[in-house]
Amino acid sequence: MHHYITEGYVLPNQAHIYWTTMIVLYPYITGIVAGAFIISSLHHVFDKDELKPVSRFAMVMAFAFLLFATLPLLNHLGHPERALNIMFTPNVTSAMAGFGFIYSTYLFILAVEIWLVYRTDIVHLYNETKYPALKPVYWLLALGVLDISEEAKAVDHKVMVFLASIGIPAACGLHGYVGFIFGAIKANPWWASPLMPVIFLLSAIVSGVAMVLVCYIIIQWINGREIDGPCTNALIETAWYFLIIDVTLELLELINHAYMANEDWVILKELVTTKLFFSMFIVQILLGSVIPFLAMGAVVVFKQRIAPGVRNVIGVVCGVLLLAQVAAMRWNVVMGGQMFSKSLRGFLNFQIDIGGREGLLAGIFILCLPFVVIFVFSRLLPLWGDVSTFPAAWMKEKEQVRRPLKGWSKFSS
Amino acid sequence: MRHAGHFVRLLALVAITVVGFLFVRSLVVPKDYGIKGHYRLSAIDDEAKREPRHIGSAACAECHDEIAAMWKAGKHHTPQCENCHGPGLMHTKVVAEDSTKGYADKILKNKNAIKRPTGIQECKWCHLKTFERPSTLKSIASVERHITDHKGTYTPNSKCVDCHNPHTTVVTPGKSGLASLTTAAK
Amino acid sequence: MTSPLNSDDVTRRDFLETVAKTGGQSFLFGSLFVNTSLLRLPQDAAQANAKAKAETEAGKGIIYGFVVDTTKCIGCGSCVRACRVENAVPDGYNRTWVEQYTFYPDGEVVVNSPVGGENGFAEPGPTRNMPAGLEAVQPVRGFFVPKLCNHCIDTPCIQVCPVGASFKTDEGVVLVDHESCVGCAYCVQACPFGSRYLNPDTMTADKCTWCHHRITKGMLPACVVSCPAEARIFGNVSDPTSTISQILSTNRVQVLKSYLGTRPRTRYIGLDSEVI
Repeated sequence: MHHYITEGYVLPNQAHIYWTTMIVLYPYITGIVAGAFIISSLHHVFDKDELKPVSRFAMVMAFAFLLFATLPLLNHLGHPERALNIMFTPNVTSAMAGFGFIYSTYLFILAVEIWLVYRTDIVHLYNETKYPALKPVYWLLALGVLDISEEAKAVDHKVMVFLASIGIPAACGLHGYVGFIFGAIKANPWWASPLMPVIFLLSAIVSGVAMVLVCYIIIQWINGREIDGPCTNALIETAWYFLIIDVTLELLELINHAYMANEDWVILKELVTTKLFFSMFIVQILLGSVIPFLAMGAVVVFKQRIAPGVRNVIGVVCGVLLLAQVAAMRWNVVMGGQMFSKSLRGFLNFQIDIGGREGLLAGIFILCLPFVVIFVFSRLLPLWGDVSTFPAAWMKEKEQVRRPLKGWSKFSS
Repeated sequence: MRHAGHFVRLLALVAITVVGFLFVRSLVVPKDYGIKGHYRLSAIDDEAKREPRHIGSAACAECHDEIAAMWKAGKHHTPQCENCHGPGLMHTKVVAEDSTKGYADKILKNKNAIKRPTGIQECKWCHLKTFERPSTLKSIASVERHITDHKGTYTPNSKCVDCHNPHTTVVTPGKSGLASLTTAAK
Repeated sequence: MTSPLNSDDVTRRDFLETVAKTGGQSFLFGSLFVNTSLLRLPQDAAQANAKAKAETEAGKGIIYGFVVDTTKCIGCGSCVRACRVENAVPDGYNRTWVEQYTFYPDGEVVVNSPVGGENGFAEPGPTRNMPAGLEAVQPVRGFFVPKLCNHCIDTPCIQVCPVGASFKTDEGVVLVDHESCVGCAYCVQACPFGSRYLNPDTMTADKCTWCHHRITKGMLPACVVSCPAEARIFGNVSDPTSTISQILSTNRVQVLKSYLGTRPRTRYIGLDSEVI
């Protein structure tokens, strides 16, 4: 922990910043999980058929990011080896104590959902894979049960609907909870607000949808595949709607601080106009909110009249801007809350580390890991198309066949 | 449960995980957790068994009784011995082991042990005039004033203890403050 | 005999213990209980009062309290130095510190605490940056305020600790279990007074313990012993004959950030409204 340069009067123990890059990254990662999961659920539960092309990918993305959601926390803890204390001796009055249980419940729900989505594929691939080495892997993934009769699929479908219906509140719970961690800290006027969980949840959805949008378009570009128009439109539309509610509430929060002008507003005003000016007004509001609002709004309003190429570029650029918006929002909340002292009379000149355990590079590294998982997953199971088009299923002897999958999966036709 | 065999295996996995978790938990969580409140009861003893490093002026007086008597009778009895001399725990331990050899290494170079006062810095902590200090405290307004007030005897390089006996604050004319100390311990 | 100052403390604690023992509270339910007395039934309070009275009469029920008399503090920093050595506080962190407040005729207040006041305070006090061409203004009043952990009755640091590594003893001392603490620093964020820090040596949360290792041996906290101005008073507030009870019964006292409802056990005499 550095001893930072301070301005004004900073309480002696607050010349350090205790939560840095990792605590900015953690809500960012869980946010992407929540958003990607919502996209997948819009298709699986709410029958939004336009999103079919990305629904599996979104679900796998949610899972991959969720796997690494704890990593920044573990990397930040003073005693990572004691991390499980949070589940062994959880303190009922602590908001944070819920983490272990909320996280593992949600991870379980998501894992089972993916498993059910892919179970028929897993069994097909077990039977047909040309790589003998992969057989035991598929057998394990199927838990050794190769029953994909219509009756079994019917059971899967029932469980699936049930899990999806509890998965949405669980996703909201996981992310609303992250906002509560900050919003319930009365000691910090920049955090303490009942709006915090709502803002965290909405910006989470924005970042998750944006991540799916950007990855979808870029992956299709790289593979030279066609980009589905209605799907891209639906993603842009979803991102746009959530962006509007999200930014409205973010501004409401700030305006409310300014209008109430409590004793802490003196320092908060100074904070937002100096320390956070760039990350808040430039990145979060101008670049990350106003520009995507206008550009994506044009796509939403003019739909067909915009050329697909232009729309795709708008999608990628605005998606990246939205990802930056949400990252800046996390930064402004987490770091902003620690850049001023609880003496309300002084500031800290925080500078981000590049290297080091909690530095920028470590953060980027952690942010890359989910993509590695997605890549590995895409080698084992099909992310985009039919199982019969999947490399692992190509049979040397047999001709490639397209096998329609029946059941709940909407990839089947 | 026909056609639900995979769920049976899944639930078995969950059951194994939960049982394993509870088993590990029963091994790991200290037995005295949650007896009085949601904490490990013996943590109180862990904290309580730490050894106090400041032994108190009464303990110093057991050996250094003449100085202690002088200090107690004088005007300067509110600051304690250890305020200027540093904490006495290490000193008493080393003296009890009866080894004057290595005293310097064990004590004087240890920032957590007793130290030899500089004879001026310790005085400044309280007696340097600062605006926020209550005016009832006898303070030295400024070095320049002190030079004019005590022409000839006070120079910018002087130490307070050159004139004042730090244990009583008394100035004996013609005698240094240090010289009026009794230094030997019994 | 129960002093009116602490009877409520005892009933609150006993009530919470009863709640904890009956169990079954969820997280939200639990936090409802921590900060509200709305749910306290009259008979609970009566029972708890009776129990507290009995305990105090039996010689138990010590409740420690701390009074800081800011009108007496001379800003020598002896308490800060004593605390650092007594508790092996790492450089750059403080379990106790002294703040210097200087008021200027135009209403500006300059607050300062170099190294937590460990090396005392230099003449002429905090420098004030004046616009170029203007002469420095002479201050009109000033004082020192020593600070330390408030050992709050409804303390947010214990509330937020996810693993139960922060807790309160029967005597009202808030402590950290350094073997359970995971070092998440949530308590550091939750403390409104900046009393806590993450100790870089142990990588666990750390704070003022009111020198628990001394007071349990019948000694006073190191800062109290070392204060030459008697600005720090520590003792058993449930004993009406103790010095602290005498002082509390003859003075008007305040606490820091009372609006946050943490109910500090460290009370202040002569606290100015500029002290946050």
